[in-house]
Amino acid sequence: MPNEKPQIKKLYALSSENRKFSFSLPLKHTIKVGKRNYDVQIKSDEKYGTYILWKNRRYPLEIVKSSQNKYEILFNDISYTFNVETPFSLQRMKVLSKHKGKQEKELVKAPMPGKIIDVLVREGSQVLKGEPVVILEAMKMQNEIQSTVNGLVTSISARPNTNVMKDDILVEIKVE
Amino acid sequence: MKIKRILIANRGEIAIRIMKTARIMKIETVAVKTVIEPNALYLSHADVVYDITDESADIPVFLDIDKLIEIALKTGSDAIHPGYGFLAENAYFADKCVDNKIIFIGPSPDAIYKMGNKTIARRIALANKIPMAMGSEGNISNEEEGIKIAEKIGYPVIIKAASGGGGRGMRIVRRSEDMGKMFIVASKEAEKAFNDPSVFIEKYIENPKHIEFQIIGDKKGNIIHLGERECSIQRKHQKLLEEAPSAALDEKLRKEMGKMAVQIAKAVNYYSAGTVEFLLDSDKRFYFMEMNTRIQVEHPVTEMVTGLDLIELQIRIANNEELPYKQSDIKLEGWAIECRINAEDVQAGFAPDPGRIEKLSMPDDPYVRVDTGIQAGSAIVSSYDSMIAKLIVKGKDRKDALQNCKKALDKVWIKGTKTTLPFFRMLVRHPKFQSGNFTTAFIEKDLEKYYYYSEYEEMLAAWLATKLFIEENLSEDSINVDFKRGREMSPWLLNKRINQF
Amino acid sequence: MDLAGKAYKAFLERQEALEKQYSTKNAEKQHSKGKLTAHERITLLFDPGTFEEIDAFVTPASQPVEFGKVERTFGDGVIVGHGKINGRLVFAYAQDFTIMGGSLGLVHSKKITKIQEMALKMGAPIIGMMDSGGARIQEGVASLSGYASIFQNIIQSSGIIPQISVILGPAAGGAVYSPALTDFVFMVNSTSYMFVTGPNVVKEVLNEEVSSDGLGGAEVHARKSGVAHMIYDDEENTILALKKFLSYLPSNNVENPPIVETNSNENDIIEKLRDIVPDDPNKAYDVKDVINLVVDKNSFFETSELFAPNLITGFARLKGKTIGIVANQPKVLAGVLDINSSTKGARFIRFCDAFNIPILTFEDVPGFLPGVDQEHAGIIRHGAKLLFAYSEATVPKITIILRKAYGGAFIVMNSKFLGGDFSFAWPTAEIAVMGPDGAVAILYKREISESKNPAELKKELVKKYRDKIANPFIADESGYIDEVIDPALTRKKILSALEALNNKWVKVPARKHGNMPL
Repeated sequence: MPNEKPQIKKLYALSSENRKFSFSLPLKHTIKVGKRNYDVQIKSDEKYGTYILWKNRRYPLEIVKSSQNKYEILFNDISYTFNVETPFSLQRMKVLSKHKGKQEKELVKAPMPGKIIDVLVREGSQVLKGEPVVILEAMKMQNEIQSTVNGLVTSISARPNTNVMKDDILVEIKVE
Repeated sequence: MKIKRILIANRGEIAIRIMKTARIMKIETVAVKTVIEPNALYLSHADVVYDITDESADIPVFLDIDKLIEIALKTGSDAIHPGYGFLAENAYFADKCVDNKIIFIGPSPDAIYKMGNKTIARRIALANKIPMAMGSEGNISNEEEGIKIAEKIGYPVIIKAASGGGGRGMRIVRRSEDMGKMFIVASKEAEKAFNDPSVFIEKYIENPKHIEFQIIGDKKGNIIHLGERECSIQRKHQKLLEEAPSAALDEKLRKEMGKMAVQIAKAVNYYSAGTVEFLLDSDKRFYFMEMNTRIQVEHPVTEMVTGLDLIELQIRIANNEELPYKQSDIKLEGWAIECRINAEDVQAGFAPDPGRIEKLSMPDDPYVRVDTGIQAGSAIVSSYDSMIAKLIVKGKDRKDALQNCKKALDKVWIKGTKTTLPFFRMLVRHPKFQSGNFTTAFIEKDLEKYYYYSEYEEMLAAWLATKLFIEENLSEDSINVDFKRGREMSPWLLNKRINQF
Repeated sequence: MDLAGKAYKAFLERQEALEKQYSTKNAEKQHSKGKLTAHERITLLFDPGTFEEIDAFVTPASQPVEFGKVERTFGDGVIVGHGKINGRLVFAYAQDFTIMGGSLGLVHSKKITKIQEMALKMGAPIIGMMDSGGARIQEGVASLSGYASIFQNIIQSSGIIPQISVILGPAAGGAVYSPALTDFVFMVNSTSYMFVTGPNVVKEVLNEEVSSDGLGGAEVHARKSGVAHMIYDDEENTILALKKFLSYLPSNNVENPPIVETNSNENDIIEKLRDIVPDDPNKAYDVKDVINLVVDKNSFFETSELFAPNLITGFARLKGKTIGIVANQPKVLAGVLDINSSTKGARFIRFCDAFNIPILTFEDVPGFLPGVDQEHAGIIRHGAKLLFAYSEATVPKITIILRKAYGGAFIVMNSKFLGGDFSFAWPTAEIAVMGPDGAVAILYKREISESKNPAELKKELVKKYRDKIANPFIADESGYIDEVIDPALTRKKILSALEALNNKWVKVPARKHGNMPL
């Protein structure tokens, strides 16, 4: 069987707002403005911590989270989330999005009996997977109840300062 | 009697601000060390630190009147400066100080009380012919009364809490059908927030500018104003950026509004520093809103354009000295802008983002002033406000000040929490803000995005994500695994392990 | 190459035929479903040029087929072989869906068992990449016997070599037990699913309408059933993650885990740790913040992230050495122990124990989850698994008590009396039989009910209880824990404890096996 490594020639960073940045491999340490290339350097020192030096300016950076190919980066005080995709995984995304069936509804339920402390979303709010939607006090602790999907909040049954039983529906989310 | 030692009944940047002036005046200061922030920067600026970290308390010390009086007496402080927030506008606290022969650096308890109660303040303003939005004479007691008044003055109207402030207990009513519901909501909110359900009604001014006048008076009845501040950049009634002077005022209007500000202050025999807030509508008509009887967060912009030290004046006046300036001595020179850099996540609707500040570096250009209570290593705790620093920038004129502000903002370096910096970086580039032609509705109505966006910055971030992906997954030596060393074992362990199987 | 002669002619023809079989047409068919081919998967997994295929030319069993048709293809729908991953020997098989739907016939199964036996003999990890329609119906019982012998081999190798399954397509019916028996299961979103009976049968028998994805997709198994330990959005990420995952594991149960050299100069004193646990004992925080600060930078690899997230499990490194981490997650359900988290923790601990991976426990547990639900479903039985696993493990065991350590849950979470080697507590720790409110309500029931101001008295008693009982100092002074430490020193303390435990050996009683409460 063929044994050579499949060469990945390009990578794409897709922002959460669906902007696409493509980079050829091997990755160059320059970013182009107009026709000129400017060097990008990652540096770190005692005074500034880690930063990127570009066009004679320092930009603070922090890697907030990374899981799989997903990176949350705080860059110059603004957080960005990127999915880094290979040409194949990008194609796969296109293929699968065509196959995607009807939109489903996800019910966020109370995982245990307790008291609703706060509802963090409103009807019509966009929520991301992992985003807290309700704060439930149970076992004398405040628990963040998170959305398990990306979607749109369509209805809210949780009311602050009310008690709920296990599996009571708190929030309904239309999966997107 | 002359003040020799001041207890600072506050924390953070304002405590330091007061201590700095006190030091110049050769007055000692006392700071209170609390368990919430035992390593705070303000403690290092004080001459005496009173430690209460061992004491357990039900309410925070800066709200505990008896405790503060006790500390003042124990430390031999002859005066208390309340700063802003906490007990700064608590007439009872001011009164208690007087009872204990401690000088309260601020106005008289009577002035605090009268201006603190909006209904009383309205009556005083009315009696002194201060322009005001039409409204109820006093508090309203039910829906019907509200509808009657609203029909007289015309919708929209706003229901406000008599003891209120900060936007709580306020509701806008646009139709008589909504009056009942809004009356109940506002009144309930007012009761919850201020322990007082009484509310009154005013004509609601659509999209006004928020203009306030700094006034200062002594105990001998001399009162002058120090020009205005433009505070229209606010979100949910929280000010984010202030400037002095305002682009909306000309000399004539400034004179007229300043006169009114002094007039209402005189009506309550005001002394010390205070602020008279007005709304200015699009036809340049102005309306008295309220008076704040304390030093304000945004006082530095006034200091920058007048060259005065407001804290110094407060202390001198508390010392029964006469105001050394007449109105004609006050000249406004240049333009000043203050950005409140808070630990907030602009991308998540300005949600507080408490945490530890790891790196902090502020610009030191001659046109910049920084007031802060934070240094690298300080924690922003959720018990207090989320302020990291006030960045105050001066320029020859508004354009110059904006230019300087833009430069200064790019030099601010904060790591550890998210901040409001991206908001200001956007704001100083926004054409409508640059034009000076904006109202209190600016953030809600005119902004599509609350933070600065640059395609190049995003590209740099994307580049970084891609680089991380390559390092983690594609580079040949991404995982430098040493399997051999895993096989090396002490004879003891190797022997035992082999014999087991 | 210039090979002459008749023998070479046949040789070359065969090779040509093989290449033709793996034509681009087949590959495109896979790609159009968002899947990679078996070859592409193997190539991604192994270091370039190291994979050696075995039995590439075998053909399906040649007994007469009475029903249906069997294609005469090379390899019988599975690629098997060995190669190197990060320079280490690993065995693997990958089912090829483009050939008879990857269905498992006798020859197909024999190829798999052959490679399984080799992996066991050589003491090397084995990876199975599954993408198969199931048993080959045409071959009848021979196909079933194939499955059985694969299962038998997995069970014989269990605890001796790491066995990992990657589900990259369908796995239905009996086939699901092959991954279920292995140590870890990887799945990929949208294109892989596992179920014992498929949606069609569910519909026929129960008249319930459910999609393949809804019945046994990656998300379902990661979140609800706990069958899948790791899921990813696409195959490339799955395989990349698998490679990373393997770097934590030793080749067999005699070796120690590999060491990854870190060139970064890590500071062992981490002041940030002092800020994580909130002052308010009822406020949650993310224990992953603690983990990420303590372990080598970016080295934490979480397993079963979505299943029972009130208990975190995963691998990480300390000064390059692999450790297994078990941590209560106060952010989810207050970090309470329930049925799912108990079984999740127990299985993880047993894996670590089998493969000489020290276990580091971060404890902040208010207790076991109360309720009819849990009691009736057997929290006693399942909680006992966690207890059993902790106690049975002979690898180095270290516990850091971050905050709550109450009652039975304190005992279970690797307490010293269960054979924990080192037990450290942060000053924020509360070690007691139960929480302040519960204790006060029981001990001062009468006083409170008779008091003029019950709320005030209760508050006072709770405070007194916190001061006197629910702190780490009593346990420290009586030797039930080893030391109350400054959170900033946590990493340092763990490192020196691990060094001290490097040669730990415990003689296991001679017995066939203990009787774990399954």
